[in-house]
Amino acid sequence: MKIHNKPKLTLFHCLNSFKETASMFDGCEVKTVKMACSSMTKDVHLLRAFESGADAVLVLVCREKACRYAEGSIRAEKRVNYVKTILDDIGMDGKRLNIFNTSSKDSGSINDIIKKTLLELEIIGPNPALNHFN
Amino acid sequence: MITASQKPINEIAELVEPYKKVLILGCGTCVKTCFAGGEDEVAVLASVLRLKFKKMARSIEIEELTIERQCENEFIQEASSGVDRNDAILSLACGAGVQAMAKRFAKKVVLPGVNTSFIGIQESPGIFTEECSGCGNCGLATFGGICPVTRCSKKLLNGPCGGSQKGLCEIDPDTPCAWHLIIERLTTLGQLDNLKTYIPPKNWNTSLSGGPRKLIREDHII
Repeated sequence: MKIHNKPKLTLFHCLNSFKETASMFDGCEVKTVKMACSSMTKDVHLLRAFESGADAVLVLVCREKACRYAEGSIRAEKRVNYVKTILDDIGMDGKRLNIFNTSSKDSGSINDIIKKTLLELEIIGPNPALNHFN
Repeated sequence: MITASQKPINEIAELVEPYKKVLILGCGTCVKTCFAGGEDEVAVLASVLRLKFKKMARSIEIEELTIERQCENEFIQEASSGVDRNDAILSLACGAGVQAMAKRFAKKVVLPGVNTSFIGIQESPGIFTEECSGCGNCGLATFGGICPVTRCSKKLLNGPCGGSQKGLCEIDPDTPCAWHLIIERLTTLGQLDNLKTYIPPKNWNTSLSGGPRKLIREDHII
């Protein structure tokens, strides 16, 4: 059952891992959340993105060893993995949440990530927590 | 601190399922430090439960609150209005906090959201170790500040068992041998002679083995 026409994505990113381009979000609605460093990725923010209607949540972080604050992307990855297990536990499917190492200079790979996410959503479907109350 | 870990989410969901309005009550002291029941954990748990119940097409109202300590009436009072507004309290405090809440709010359902573990310290970020068994008769002065009652797998009081290897316990190679640590520490302190003192079999009456304990400070009772 489709609940909205375009899939909704929420994209958390650190300043250095992502730069929006014009056609990047064709075929989906995206909310972007800019962070000074991906270490600011918090469990509750990821979960609230789903509560707010996201079908999938992406976290874009610097490439390994490129984090200006040394451990930001490592911390973000651990938190994402933790929330993925929670989503699996409650039947929301942890595949809705993913983290990628990207660079703001490489918009091509970010385009690919979004396309891949949209394809994944066709398989796993919309956010199951929104079917009943939204 | 008293350490705890959050119960599995589905166990918590089963506990709160019968109620329409639930107050998730965090405790801002021990369980906050060990990431089980502070403000952040209350927010995460509330969000997870809302998602889970929405998915189940069940409506539930969840209120979030964290007080400084759930084991003291002065702080518990701060939760009174929140308690009144809800059908049940999901306490993320240790077992003492849960029981203090149940005692204070006799007609309200109080549910435990964490499993209380042990008295310990944060060894390094994210790693907590048990250091004290609350035996009621502390011998740390003799043992150089390292407790064999808690940290020796065999609770030996008169020297090592001889089974440790490279300073690690033969029962669990991930655990340092308490007696290896005691001897190293007493050597550093120049107190190795402490080991010549015979420690008689421990009297466990002062521990929980003697039944539930009560601490009375007459000078603080009016």
